[in-house]
Amino acid sequence: MNARLDIHTVPLCHVIKGETVHGADLEFGPSNARFTTPRLDLDRLVWLRAEPGPAFDTPLAEIMDILVATGAWLKADPKGWVAEALEFTVKTSPLPRDVLERSYASLSRLFSRRSMEFQVQQELGGADVLDSWREIDTPAGRHVRIRAFPPRLIHIIAGNAPGVAAMTIVRGALTKGVHLIKIPSNDLFTATAILRGLAEVAPGHPLSRSFSAAYWRGGDESVEGRLFLPQFFDKLVAWGGESTIRTAQKYIGPGFELVSFDPKTSISMLGHEIFSSPSLLADAAERASIDATLMNQQACVSSRIQFVEGSIDEVDRYCEVLQPRLGLQRETASAIGRPVAGDLRDEVDALRDMEPYYRVWGKCDGSGLVIRSEAPVDFQPDGKMVNVVPVKRLEDAVRYVNIATQTIGVFPQERKLILRNALAAAGAQRVVTLGGAGTMEAGLPHDGFLPLSRFVRWVNDE
Amino acid sequence: MTPIRRELLDSITHADRYDRSPAELRPLRLEAARELFKERIEQIPVLRRRAQDSGVREVRHFADLVPLLFSHTVYKSYPVALVEQGKWDRLLQWLRTLSVQDPTSVDMTGVENIDGWINRLRAAGHMILATSGSSGKCSFLNSTRGDLEMKTRHFANMLGWPYLRPNADRPVFMLGPSSGPNSAIEAAQIGAKLWGRPGDIHFLTDEPLQIAVVSQMAVIRKRMAEGLATPGEIADFEGRAAAQAARMTAALHALTDKILASRHEPIVLSGLWSQHMAIIDRARELGIKDGDFHPRSHISAGGGVKGVRLPDDYREQVDRFYGGVIRGTGYGMTEQAQVLPRCDAKRYHVPPGLVMLLLDRAGEALIEPERGEGVVEGRFAFLDLLYEGRWGGLISGDKVHVDFAERCACGRWGPSILDDITRYAQPGEDDHIGCAGTIDAYVRGAMNS
Repeated sequence: MNARLDIHTVPLCHVIKGETVHGADLEFGPSNARFTTPRLDLDRLVWLRAEPGPAFDTPLAEIMDILVATGAWLKADPKGWVAEALEFTVKTSPLPRDVLERSYASLSRLFSRRSMEFQVQQELGGADVLDSWREIDTPAGRHVRIRAFPPRLIHIIAGNAPGVAAMTIVRGALTKGVHLIKIPSNDLFTATAILRGLAEVAPGHPLSRSFSAAYWRGGDESVEGRLFLPQFFDKLVAWGGESTIRTAQKYIGPGFELVSFDPKTSISMLGHEIFSSPSLLADAAERASIDATLMNQQACVSSRIQFVEGSIDEVDRYCEVLQPRLGLQRETASAIGRPVAGDLRDEVDALRDMEPYYRVWGKCDGSGLVIRSEAPVDFQPDGKMVNVVPVKRLEDAVRYVNIATQTIGVFPQERKLILRNALAAAGAQRVVTLGGAGTMEAGLPHDGFLPLSRFVRWVNDE
Repeated sequence: MTPIRRELLDSITHADRYDRSPAELRPLRLEAARELFKERIEQIPVLRRRAQDSGVREVRHFADLVPLLFSHTVYKSYPVALVEQGKWDRLLQWLRTLSVQDPTSVDMTGVENIDGWINRLRAAGHMILATSGSSGKCSFLNSTRGDLEMKTRHFANMLGWPYLRPNADRPVFMLGPSSGPNSAIEAAQIGAKLWGRPGDIHFLTDEPLQIAVVSQMAVIRKRMAEGLATPGEIADFEGRAAAQAARMTAALHALTDKILASRHEPIVLSGLWSQHMAIIDRARELGIKDGDFHPRSHISAGGGVKGVRLPDDYREQVDRFYGGVIRGTGYGMTEQAQVLPRCDAKRYHVPPGLVMLLLDRAGEALIEPERGEGVVEGRFAFLDLLYEGRWGGLISGDKVHVDFAERCACGRWGPSILDDITRYAQPGEDDHIGCAGTIDAYVRGAMNS
């Protein structure tokens, strides 16, 4: 039996301060996705506070040059390491190959200079405050200086989209700080592939020496209890996952702060205008299916519940048009995703027998499913499943928006003007025109805050 | 009921009930499963859909049963709004999809809460059992009065095995409520009837378990998620939960002295680990030493220990305190009537009328080891041939080790299940991190206990 399992065991390397560490000392993962890692040397995972981080004084322009080169390296993949990481990821990730291939192909885009300049401008007001001390005149008539000082961060990143690793590395590099990335078990290879590229284009450079990425089992006290200390790090940047946040909370205290990209869900709102012509109905359904199937609906930005203004008959007509579109291959979705999980399938099957109160279109085979119900269903639609809820007025749907609601796609776009304040008041963080949920550009607020501004340490000279 | 199925179930009354060769049982069980499926597919809509979706038209091999097994969640797949809004007829419509006998004609006029709904059904012969998960959403499982009689007969031939047979001649202490539509209570009721000397049967409380109270947790959770629950409402809920816990503690104190006074005669005692620890505390106060119970007493301990403060060695302490008594235990779950008793070699044996199916971790493939292969790990699943009220096929969340050796260490026929049953990690416990989540992650404080 063991011999058979070994075929599936994939080797994971660590990257520690720019150096790749190989070794199959430890083994982790479920029987269908085993992986090995090198042993952890905790001493090497920290940057002692006795000295500044390697890139604290590196000019931002130089950092951007290296990041742009890293992006080019990712695209060219001269050593074949990116392709190798993709192959290993295919074996261990819950996402299908085609979605991963397209995600990997688009990684280099995140390293564009224009995007990085935009981030620094939008989130920090310019490079001056990173490279030096920004002069400010206060109302008290004083002349003071502030600086966005490089931080010491641990990142517990989400693994449901490879872009998260890339975004973390870009943001981290722009802050000039030191960064330890805890590799998630659902994306074991992307962070290390990028950091290996960084070390290739800038061997021994302070920026390469400012990053490490390693795997340990999330919540392992023998690791986290020794690393998550204000003596070594300023902040813990944690993505999603209730369990992550809960274990992280144990360590949060004076001098060790939590920056949380909270777990989120997203929805759509479609106005009665969509029924005015067949082409508009088709357009709305197309946009709605793009938003629903993002990363095969594994992301926080993927829409799961759609409120549609109309009668039951009208809404059923919309559902019919929507369902087949969920099964189309797109840049961020495969035609057939994973089949709906067993417990969710039970819930869906129960509703099939409850017409006319509920109606279900499609199968649980991963090709896309639509459930129409009077009120949102009790469960979280997942795996290309959309819950469509008829409402008299879109305003009636605002009560279902809360602090866990991230993105709301609205159609037609004029309706945003009337809805956006009410949605924000209820807790929503992002209102987009339907079909545009997936265009998450760095430099705009993310989960209700400006990440670079939260990452850095703001220091005064008065 | 078909003759083969009947024969398998009836053989629970035979002396060799847990000691028949798999070679003899296998073809009988397969045939009984085949016949049962043929009958139920016509009666149970959810099973019919399962069969359609998976393309299984007939059970020719045990592997054909795998896609037909339900998970426990199927029994709580109704929309919770039906309960909140008192749409009892729609809830009946849902129950119909999982039942053999149609419950939709049961009159629900004037029913005010979920307990009323359950009581009307039970009065009409639908012996509903309810369970509650940590979320507070309850499962509802239908069965018939005949199923309950068959289950009672099974317990008469399982309890005490292989040491004792219940004979209605002992003081019985069941440390839970005496009534309520819940499988643990039903098991205690059956046990009390079988073991208990009339007039000497004691339950912790005669306050019936109310499902409406159990589901309050779910209601509060939902209100918190919607941002409607006020701080005062949450505090009130916590206060009521604390008062309930205090009443049960007082009831246990009252019963403990009676239990301790009966310790020199054979008794039956069943409670949670934490309750046994409380009994030990009281015994210490009274100066009662370890091992001072009658050796023919039948004492069982169980229950989750999540959220309960217990010393690390609580099991050892309980073992030492009761000493050489018979420690009764069985392996079963709400969805199952035919519980597996534990033999003198501390392994669980499969009753003839239970089709045990060992699946892979994912619960997708049947593990059928070669003859005589040793211990194999897998997910426990079964088809309980007993039920006339619903489909008896279920996939559990339990990780078990099954010894497929011809003989168990006790000398009886195998296969047997080792005494090291644990749960498979739930999705999300695999340290996968995603940015997607629901408002549930934000509902904290009151709901953590």
